[in-house]
Amino acid sequence: MTTLLQVKGLSKSFGAVRAVSNIDFTIREGHCVALLGPNGAGKTTTIRMITGLLKQTSGKMEFQGAAEGVHYRSLIGYLPQSPSFYSWMTGSEYLIYAGQLCGLSAATAKLRAKALLERVGISGAAKRRIGSYSGGMKQRLGLAQALVHQPKLLVMDEPVSALDPLGRKEVLELLRELKQETTVLFSTHVLHDAEVLCDDVIIIRNGQVALQGAIDRIRENHRKPTIELQVEQDEHSQRWMSTFSRRIQSLLNEKDEGALFQDVQLQNGIARFTVSEMDAARRMLIEELAREQVKVSRLEVGHTSLEDLFMKVVTG
Amino acid sequence: MSSETKASPSFSVANPPLSSSMTRYRVMVEKELLELVRSFKLLWVPLVFILLGIMQPVSTYYMPVILEHAGSLPDGTVIDIPLPQAAEVLAQTLQQFGTLGILVLVLVCMGSVSGERNSGAASLILVKPVSPLSYVGSKWTAMLMLAWGSLAAGYLASWYYTGLLIGAVPLSKVIGSLLIYGLWLTFVVSITILFSSLLRSPAAAAFSTLVGSVVLSLLAGLFPKALGWNPGALSGFASQAVVSEISDSGKFGLAILVVFIGMASAVLAAAGALRRSSAVE
Amino acid sequence: MKESIDLSQILPIIAPIIVIQLILMVIALVLCAKADHTRGPKWVWVLIIIFVNIFGPIAFFIAGRRTDG
Repeated sequence: MTTLLQVKGLSKSFGAVRAVSNIDFTIREGHCVALLGPNGAGKTTTIRMITGLLKQTSGKMEFQGAAEGVHYRSLIGYLPQSPSFYSWMTGSEYLIYAGQLCGLSAATAKLRAKALLERVGISGAAKRRIGSYSGGMKQRLGLAQALVHQPKLLVMDEPVSALDPLGRKEVLELLRELKQETTVLFSTHVLHDAEVLCDDVIIIRNGQVALQGAIDRIRENHRKPTIELQVEQDEHSQRWMSTFSRRIQSLLNEKDEGALFQDVQLQNGIARFTVSEMDAARRMLIEELAREQVKVSRLEVGHTSLEDLFMKVVTG
Repeated sequence: MSSETKASPSFSVANPPLSSSMTRYRVMVEKELLELVRSFKLLWVPLVFILLGIMQPVSTYYMPVILEHAGSLPDGTVIDIPLPQAAEVLAQTLQQFGTLGILVLVLVCMGSVSGERNSGAASLILVKPVSPLSYVGSKWTAMLMLAWGSLAAGYLASWYYTGLLIGAVPLSKVIGSLLIYGLWLTFVVSITILFSSLLRSPAAAAFSTLVGSVVLSLLAGLFPKALGWNPGALSGFASQAVVSEISDSGKFGLAILVVFIGMASAVLAAAGALRRSSAVE
Repeated sequence: MKESIDLSQILPIIAPIIVIQLILMVIALVLCAKADHTRGPKWVWVLIIIFVNIFGPIAFFIAGRRTDG
C-alpha cells in the first residue's frame, strides 16, 4: 500500500496560541482515516492546512503524484463542516462551475455534474436554487462538488456533525460507499462515526497527536479486561464497597505497572475495575466478597471499549 | 460509478498552466455576470444611472417653470435664470454621477469579496486549483463592466436629452469625458474591491471607500497645484474635457498613470489578502 | 420663456422618467415578494418601495435582502 500524503511536523500558531503543534502522520492510498478529537483540539486547523486554505507556520506536507506543474490542490476534494454555496445558483449549475474551475471542459463538467447529482441522490433538485436546499441536501451537494474532479484524497471537516439524525445516517451511508472509491480523511468529534467508517484513526488533543494507528489494532492493543460490580443497598455492603474502592485507589497511586488492578471507577453505586489479569482478579474479588459477606447484586466481566480509551486519551 | 471513478485518466487536471488559468478566469467572470443578471443588478444599476442622466437636463430645462409654479413668489416677479450651456449640463450630470452614482456603485460591490468570505463560499472555490488573483480579478472585471455600462448608458441618455432640450454637444467631447470619468469610477471600484477583501464588514468597506474618494476629490480641489494629479482630480478633468479643454495635460497624464498603478496594486493587494487566509471564520 | 406647463409637450419628455421609475419599482416589488428573508418586515419595504421615489427601490436592492449561502 503506497503512501498518498505524508505530514511532517505540521504546526500552526495564531499569535501566541499554538493551535496545532508538530503533527506527524501518513495517509495511505485507499484508506479511510479519521481525525478524532474533542472540539477545539485543532482538527479544523489541521484540515484547513492540508487543503491549503491556511498556511502552516512550519512543517510540510508531501503528496504522492503531485508532479511538476500539477498543483496539489487539484488532487484534493474538500467538504467543510457546513458548506456554503451561491444560493442563486442551481445545484447543477454549481457542480458544472466547480468542475470547470477544476479544469474540466464544459462538456465533461456537465456529464460529471449529472452523474454526481444522481450519485449523491439529489438529482431531483438539480434544477432548483441551492437557497431552497435543506442541510442534508447541501451536505450532499458539498460531497458532489468535492468529488467533481475525481480527487485522490477526499478531505472532510465534521461531515455529519451539523445534520439531524436522519440526514446523518444517510450521509454516513453515502460515505461508506465513497470510501471504496477514494482515499478519505475526515475529522470528527464523535468516536462512533470514526468506528463505523474508518480503517485508521488519528486522535488529537490540544493540537498534538495523542494516539494513531489502525483502528482494529488500537482496539486490540488497548483492550483490557474489566469487572463491573454492583452490591445491594444495605449499609454493610455499601460500606464495604467504598472502603474497598478506596483501598484499590490507594494501591493505584503507587503506580505499579504489574498490579492486578489498573483502574477503578465508582459511579452510581457501580464499581468498574480495569484489571491486568482476569482470572486472578476475579478469584481475589470473589474470595473477598465471600469473606466479608457482601450482598452482590451483579458481577459482570467485560472489556474496555474504544470509547473508554478515547475518553482516557482525550481527558487524561 | 465506482469503476468510472477509479479508471479515468481522461479527466486530467494537468492542463497547461497559462491557458487553463485563462479559461478559469473566463468561467469565473461569466459566473459573476450571471450573478449580476440574476440579482437584477445588471438591470437596475444602469437604470438608476439613466434616470440620473435624464433628470439633469430635464430639471435644468424646466427649472424656471417649476419655480414659477411653486407659487411662493409675489406676482410680477420675473424669473430669469439663463439656460446654461449644453456642455455645462453634461458636466453637472457628471457631478450627479459623482455623488449618487458612486454611492450606488460602492454599495453594490462593497460585499463582493467579504460576503463570500464571511459565508464560506469563498473557501469552497479557493480550495480548488484557482488562483486568488483570478478570483479577485473576475469580480473586479464584472464590477467594471457594470460600472462602465451604467456610466455609458446614463451619460449618453443625458447627452441625448440635452441635445433635445438645450443644445448639441459634439459626440467626440462626450466620449472623451466619458472615458476620463470612467477611469475615476474604475479607481473607485478597485478600491472598493480592495477594502472588501481586507475588511470583514461590507459597510466598513463602503464607508472607507467613500471617505477615501471624498478626501481625494477634496484634496484635488483644494490644492490643484500640489495634488492635482491624484485620481480624485479625474472627475474635474472629465468636466473640463466636455466644457472646454483640459488645461493641465501634464497633471492629467500623471493622474491617469496613478489610476493604473493604483488599480493594479489594489487588485494585487486584494489577492494577497485572500492568499494569506481565504476565509474569515 | 414658457408661460405655463403644456402637458402634451412635457409628457413625451418625462414619460421615460416615469417608465424607468415604474420598472425599478416593479423589480423591487417582485424581488421583495420572492425574498425568503427581508431585513425588517416585508410590508414596510413594500410601502418604502412604492412611496419613496427612486430611493425606495434602490434602498431595497442594497439593504433589503438577507442573503445566505
